[in-house]
Amino acid sequence: MPRSTFCRSADHALDRRAFLGAGAGAALAANMTALNALAAPDVNGALKKAQKRVILLWLAGGASQLETWDPKPGASTGGPFRSIQTDVPGLRISELMPKMATRIGKTTAVIRGLNTKNGDHGSGAKVMMRGRRDESGLRYPDLGAVVAREMARADSKVPDYVTFYTQTEGRSFAPGDSGFLGARFAPMELTTNNYPEFIKKLDGITDLDHQERGELRELVGKTFEKGRSSETMNSHNEAYQRVRGIMASEKLFDVTQEPEKVRARYGKTQFAEQALIARRLVEAGVPFVRVARAWWDSHGQNFETHQEMVPELDHVMATLLDDLGERGLLDDVMVVTLAEFGRTPGINASLGRDHFASAWSCTISGAGVKRGAVYGKSDALGNKVVAEEMDAGSLFATIYTALGLDPNKNYHVGSRPIPLVNPGIEPVKALVK
Amino acid sequence: MRLRTLLLAATSALAPALARAAEVPATAPIHKAVDTFVDAEIAEKGARPADRADDAALIRRLTLDLVGRIPTTGELDAYVKSTDPDKRAKLVDRLMASPAYARHQAALFEVMFNPEGTSRGGGGAFREYLAASLKENKPWDQMFREIMLPNEADAKLKGAAEFLRGRVSDADKLTNDVSVTFFGVNVSCAQCHNHPHVEDWTQDHFYGMKAFLARTFDNGGFLGERGYGVIKYKPTKGPERTAKMMFLTGATVEDPNAKEPSAAEQKAEKDALDKAKAAKAAPPAPKFSARAKLVDTALKAESAEFFSRSIVNRMWHRFFGTGLVSPLDQMHSENAPSHPALLKWLAKDTTANGYDLRRLVRGIVMSEAYSRSSKYDSEDRPNSKLFAVGKLKPMTPMQLAASLRIATADPATFDNLKPDELEKKIEQLEASARGFAALIAQPTDNFQIGVGEALLFSNGDRVQKELLTDGPGTALGRVKAIKEPKEAIGFLVRTAYGRAATDAELKALTAFVEKRAGREADAYKQVLWALLSGPEFRFSY
Repeated sequence: MPRSTFCRSADHALDRRAFLGAGAGAALAANMTALNALAAPDVNGALKKAQKRVILLWLAGGASQLETWDPKPGASTGGPFRSIQTDVPGLRISELMPKMATRIGKTTAVIRGLNTKNGDHGSGAKVMMRGRRDESGLRYPDLGAVVAREMARADSKVPDYVTFYTQTEGRSFAPGDSGFLGARFAPMELTTNNYPEFIKKLDGITDLDHQERGELRELVGKTFEKGRSSETMNSHNEAYQRVRGIMASEKLFDVTQEPEKVRARYGKTQFAEQALIARRLVEAGVPFVRVARAWWDSHGQNFETHQEMVPELDHVMATLLDDLGERGLLDDVMVVTLAEFGRTPGINASLGRDHFASAWSCTISGAGVKRGAVYGKSDALGNKVVAEEMDAGSLFATIYTALGLDPNKNYHVGSRPIPLVNPGIEPVKALVK
Repeated sequence: MRLRTLLLAATSALAPALARAAEVPATAPIHKAVDTFVDAEIAEKGARPADRADDAALIRRLTLDLVGRIPTTGELDAYVKSTDPDKRAKLVDRLMASPAYARHQAALFEVMFNPEGTSRGGGGAFREYLAASLKENKPWDQMFREIMLPNEADAKLKGAAEFLRGRVSDADKLTNDVSVTFFGVNVSCAQCHNHPHVEDWTQDHFYGMKAFLARTFDNGGFLGERGYGVIKYKPTKGPERTAKMMFLTGATVEDPNAKEPSAAEQKAEKDALDKAKAAKAAPPAPKFSARAKLVDTALKAESAEFFSRSIVNRMWHRFFGTGLVSPLDQMHSENAPSHPALLKWLAKDTTANGYDLRRLVRGIVMSEAYSRSSKYDSEDRPNSKLFAVGKLKPMTPMQLAASLRIATADPATFDNLKPDELEKKIEQLEASARGFAALIAQPTDNFQIGVGEALLFSNGDRVQKELLTDGPGTALGRVKAIKEPKEAIGFLVRTAYGRAATDAELKALTAFVEKRAGREADAYKQVLWALLSGPEFRFSY
């Protein structure tokens, strides 16, 4: 016998049984592929884990690790800022982050040994959003799409993957991309304001007409669907079934719905308001929200740039973590700070720092992450990683594990099994609870 | 090789229907061959095929597949009413002769060459090359030659170079894209290790293909090729190796002069390249062109199976919605075709007939297998790989956008037009539909329609302004003059779906309108919306 080319893993068989047992229609049972399993509402309940959600604070352009998580005060590469002691013994971070300095132990793991080998904005962003390089002929889904795929409910009344990137700098370098997972998990991209496109009813139609024409659509469609079977047709109908729910989630995007006290606590900057909206979204069950803050690309005047932007990051991140904690969400919501790369220890003639991917930092807070863990060590000047190095793959394996996902879980593209991270890549156990 | 053993075993114990199929002569018309093989497999599996699609469904399917839009109600009515026994062949020939055929097929080929969009070359010049080539029905092997060995001095052929040009900066991508597009083989797994699941594909195959292509480079906007250069790679085990130029069949090509040039030669080469750059011309071709060797090897009788099977499989996929081998880029021994003998027959026939794509397309769409209904009124639905039931195909962005334009126009605006006037009008509609098409996702295998599309249809002002308008020349404008709601509903259903409204539809839709007495115009807009956003419109069925 030639080897089977379709997924026959035990996992899949189990899902399939669970699904059939739930008494679903025969139309879906035929020819079900791994990718389509989630399309069936009854399967979804069986597959769903305790739903974890992620907020990614994307520091577009590349924030400096030396002015944030891995300061080198006094070194020739150190720059003018001092370091301060945090609530984690032995861990000092930049003085620009006094609020996070008192919160790391209860919330956050700091990763200081990223060596991701890509110092180009476009391809660096691709790698850091996907955990791997796109292969020729295969477009990988990014973190948002994978989390959406794993955590979203098929009948979800909220979007699965929302990304805010309102500033223009670098936006085209880092679009959200569901890759081979397809349109079902494609991001809702917000680029002009804090409201998604097409989420609001047009003025020219009454709400009742809008609702009732949807019912007409279903009714007329029923005639056609009889005797016909297609996964794509199912996804078409599901998409329309989700419209009214998603429209009803419009208010989630409206920051003015929050009490003035909460808004004042976050602050009224765009980044802060989007972080607050992100909290509203994950609270309502949106699996993945990215808030991009641009533009950290400080080839000139690195220190002025960071003096302005790091305190905002410090404040927003600390407030977000406090808020999530107070709402009892921190065990289910992960907050990641990440960028396409960090910045050179060497300071250039314009007092800037350039692109640098050999020894930089990021953080993971909440969910299944070991709070207060510090992993990775750069040398005295910050030029290279001397211990506990991580690349994009091991970072993603760690993130997935801390979300309760098996990084070796396979998707199938045609006949080819594609694990969440490339084969052989392990999560860092020291970072996971 | 296990596959071959299996096939041999299978042929020795043929069921009668399969035995008949095995005897299809090489001279049989394509549609007869298709039906013999497909029917034999259906009989073998004891399945019952769906009925033939009715005339209305068939003309819709053919018009969408061949020229990329739904038929006008005029075209549809004429076809349904015609009692000419040859009407289907005449329809196919008329559609295939129209300029819209080349336009639509070119758009499909463009997606095949650039599935990720036009960022990798393509766009204007490449599309024009494809459209011109398909218009004159250029043989597929000739197109392969022109794309792989582009003559940039010829203004008419220049656009063909875009495929390579968009990829020369990344030889790995170029290698894989050439293998996928022309040979249906995705060798990318074999880049880092021998393929874990496919014995056929080893690192030697990936780097062997790369050796043909890695000498190609960009010289000031023109493609150049070096006459030297070797590909080395580190296998998963053992020392570094030098890759031989090796085609997917294992056939190798020797390059006796493959050595690095001396300093003097390098200087001469650089001067020649600078001169070509300054003259804005292609650099001189090398004496030994590795890329030309690849083309020659791929088309040689003993290795042309990859080339011919891949194009046959792709054309089959285009019209049936699934390949004989699926996915399209996994044509290897571990992934057997659903109909091995049919694929083989079609590949042979295509090669023997000069890679004539029109002939192949005509044969496919004239088959009974192509004309089966997508409706199957029994729970016992045959396996989709049997092609016993028509498959729903989501429309491409342009098919959908152009069809929306047709369905929202007053059908009377198409009536009484001479054929070339109709062509022109449709072409204008297509042009005006491009903006909307850009908002729709390109379908792929296992395509899922996202909520973004449903939100666009539900709340996009383009839908409101471009489709649900009731100005002169629109279907909704026409409805304003109809007094009786039932009649207006019947008219809208006919315009959108090309069929009469069912009783249930008439009842529900009329009730919807009557409930909105005094603002009927609004009500009809929403009725039309419900029709256009439904699956019966979204899919080719």
